[in-house]
Amino acid sequence: MNPPGTRRAVVTGIGVVAPGGIGAEAFWKSAAEGHTLLDRVTREGCGHLPLKVAGEVRGFDPAALIEGNHLVQTDRFTHFAMAAASLALEDARLGRADVGSPYSVGVVTAAGSGGGEFGQRELQKLWGRGSRHVGPYQSIAWFYAASTGQISIRGGFKGPCGVVAADEPGGLDALAHAARAVARGTGTVVAGAAEAPLAPYSMVCQLGYPELSTEGDPERAYRPFTAGARGFVPAEGGAMLVLEEECAALDRGAEPRATVAGHAATFTGASRREESREGLARAIGAALAEAGCAPGEVDVVFADALGTPEADRAEALAITDALGPHGRRVPVTAPKAGTGRAYCGAPVLDAAAAVLAMEHGLVPPTPNVFDVCHDLDLVTGRARSAELRTALVLSRGLMGSNAALVLRRGAGHPTDRRSASA
Amino acid sequence: MTDQMTGQVTVEELAALMKQTAGVAVDPDDLRQRAGSGFDAFGLDSLGLLGVVGELEKRYGRDMPERAEQCRTPREFLDFVNGVLTAEA
Repeated sequence: MNPPGTRRAVVTGIGVVAPGGIGAEAFWKSAAEGHTLLDRVTREGCGHLPLKVAGEVRGFDPAALIEGNHLVQTDRFTHFAMAAASLALEDARLGRADVGSPYSVGVVTAAGSGGGEFGQRELQKLWGRGSRHVGPYQSIAWFYAASTGQISIRGGFKGPCGVVAADEPGGLDALAHAARAVARGTGTVVAGAAEAPLAPYSMVCQLGYPELSTEGDPERAYRPFTAGARGFVPAEGGAMLVLEEECAALDRGAEPRATVAGHAATFTGASRREESREGLARAIGAALAEAGCAPGEVDVVFADALGTPEADRAEALAITDALGPHGRRVPVTAPKAGTGRAYCGAPVLDAAAAVLAMEHGLVPPTPNVFDVCHDLDLVTGRARSAELRTALVLSRGLMGSNAALVLRRGAGHPTDRRSASA
Repeated sequence: MTDQMTGQVTVEELAALMKQTAGVAVDPDDLRQRAGSGFDAFGLDSLGLLGVVGELEKRYGRDMPERAEQCRTPREFLDFVNGVLTAEA
């Protein structure tokens, strides 16, 4: 599957800003321990809304991580993305000296909602005080493309840039888009997604989703794959990854931590959960084919876990449709049950968790889930040790997109990471 | 031509407006000394200057000609806006 001359994209850095923590290490520790970060919504102006529980990013001080001009000119979702990008570049130990030309580094992000909080503030000025009171940065801060633009401006990255304005699986599509840019000749792409949907206007926009859980008890609000499944809980945050061409990464002494081996996306229509079974199964099949991966080689599945009975059933069936009997034996997990779904950021967080899981030889558990009512080996309670070479990450969106991503453990797998996790 | 940098809108006011509207921190003395450098040298982009113009329009209760937002340097900008404010005073 990899003829001579094929340029493969490898993950060399992970940056996370999530309810589970700031930075890959804190995020992984929280995921591996199965922490529940779901809690009552505390963000200003949201207390009266029927959406009571969410995954908030707490302890995030943007002023400590981002320059004053970017703070003023961008929305919280871009603050998250810029901070995650910096963390990922640090994690990859990729400095300006390692980059031959600014044109060799690109940026791809995905966004499902853009800068709602910034936009609300400016629109309130418009209707409350008049058009002269709307600042000019409104023109760019709300926009889906803002994070790609600001990350590239801030880092001086002039390579191929892109934005996936999309449903949740856009996060996986962004990683695939970045891997294809690397295959076509770009040296490095900073790729991923972060979202900030927990502000009054943005939250009101979500209230119409029939899949949204309005349960007020954080421990019961989001229980995918159980008889108590009553929808999903939204979250903020996300992750950015550094993808590099494998040989160039090795040449500069970087560690290829995982290979982006395969990806596919399908569309089966908004709220058509039963149809998502076939859509997801086809995405899995095509992603495995691109990766040259047999179904039995999949060692762990990071599930979409939308959390409604019909959506969970469709996903469980899709996994066995695509993987055959192996689909009932392979460990499946949904760490997002403990953090909520950060829209496009959610599958990128799962991809980050998948890389870390392969490095640590540990499948993180699905928090708050005890009584699985589908024919799946869902990892619950505590993390499970396993030899993990290949991970499958699944995502579906509320508007009907489906995607699957296959990650293979990097060749330079360090055993010290695993022993450190014990 | 008189030096309008000592006019109604001061270097200090411009520095404060750059901070307020674009989050660009600049020391007024530095701004005065390098008043002939481009706004980009201080980190202010075209949207930032547009925001500064908008604030001045509110503060002084009058519209600024479009040329204000096209000024390239702090000196050119202060000369221009103070010229406008003086002429229309």
